[in-house]
Amino acid sequence: MNKRKLAKVYRTDIKNLPEKFLLLGFPGNGLIGTFTISYLISHLQMKLVGDINHPDMPPTLFVENGEVLSPIRIYQKDNIYAIISDIPVFPEIASDFVASIAEFCLKSKINRVVVPSGVDTQSTDNKDLKTYGLATDESFEKIMYENDIPKFISGSIIGTDATVILTFKNYKIPLLMMYTSCHPFFPDPQASVAAISSLAKILKIQVDTSDIQKRIDYLKIQHKNLMQETLDALQPEKQLPSKIPPIYR
Amino acid sequence: MVTQDWFKIGMSSLPMIKLTDDQEQKCLHPLSFLREYESKWVIEFDLPLVEKKDINVYLDEEGILVVEAKLRETYVDSRGDQNSEYEYFKKGIVLPKNINAKNISARFSNSILTITVPKLYKGTKIQIQ
Repeated sequence: MNKRKLAKVYRTDIKNLPEKFLLLGFPGNGLIGTFTISYLISHLQMKLVGDINHPDMPPTLFVENGEVLSPIRIYQKDNIYAIISDIPVFPEIASDFVASIAEFCLKSKINRVVVPSGVDTQSTDNKDLKTYGLATDESFEKIMYENDIPKFISGSIIGTDATVILTFKNYKIPLLMMYTSCHPFFPDPQASVAAISSLAKILKIQVDTSDIQKRIDYLKIQHKNLMQETLDALQPEKQLPSKIPPIYR
Repeated sequence: MVTQDWFKIGMSSLPMIKLTDDQEQKCLHPLSFLREYESKWVIEFDLPLVEKKDINVYLDEEGILVVEAKLRETYVDSRGDQNSEYEYFKKGIVLPKNINAKNISARFSNSILTITVPKLYKGTKIQIQ
């Protein structure tokens, strides 16, 4: 059996706080995770506290205003952490990558993980936008009920999302996947507005979404290359059966 | 079923060739995808910053479906000190041969152009013994 190659997590300024949330956003259906987490990081003025590297990831760095940034970064404000990836998480490294984050949660005593994602719907009508919750823990079920977030009842989950759920379940770290209906193959910032509003309710914070709503068209163009790269990276997963297999109970 | 468009499949198999935005022509390469059904192909194009009246769709003599659209305002891509300006979307997709070209239809909603291409079945009848 091959030795696991865990991604290295570099922490620079992390405090231990009693109850802690981790928000995790990576490119996927409609780039919902990317839009939602990056907007919250900006809106809450979260502080960059570290980054994540993996030896099997293509070496990539971004430079913004002269500052070198890793594509996968950790932010913090008070009891909320956020990890955002600006590059697709390739299926080959997803398991190690998510296990590294679970280890980070244990070390940092993070006891709530929330992951916004997108779910394919045939309708592109904005009136149909809804966020569904899938929890691995009773405490999150209660939070969903209190905040009128409907339960994700049935469907198949593949790829990195499935890896996230299985990993956090195995590590016994409470996880809430938030699935917002979206166009899966085009950037969908409009749908991410619904995701941001639902996430704000979970975190008990106020978030003004007017800025993202003003820039919907620009965000779609700005993120089209990331969407294409994400589809290219995840294309083999999309060819798996999308219908729910019969489950005998 | 979701597949990449034919045009890209053909080009991407060639090394060092990847369709991208054309700065010189101020032209963006829109995202698109298609779904295949038994009776039709449905092709969607993502065209943000575009009005319905500014979209031009045509099928050329080579069987290439071309979508051109003028942006309602210039899109500026800023990277450091460099600014690239774009004014159009343009993309061509090679359609298969068994289509009913006369009944191709299109609609535009929420910045997505949806083109429905009916399939055409014709051939020699095979008797079942």
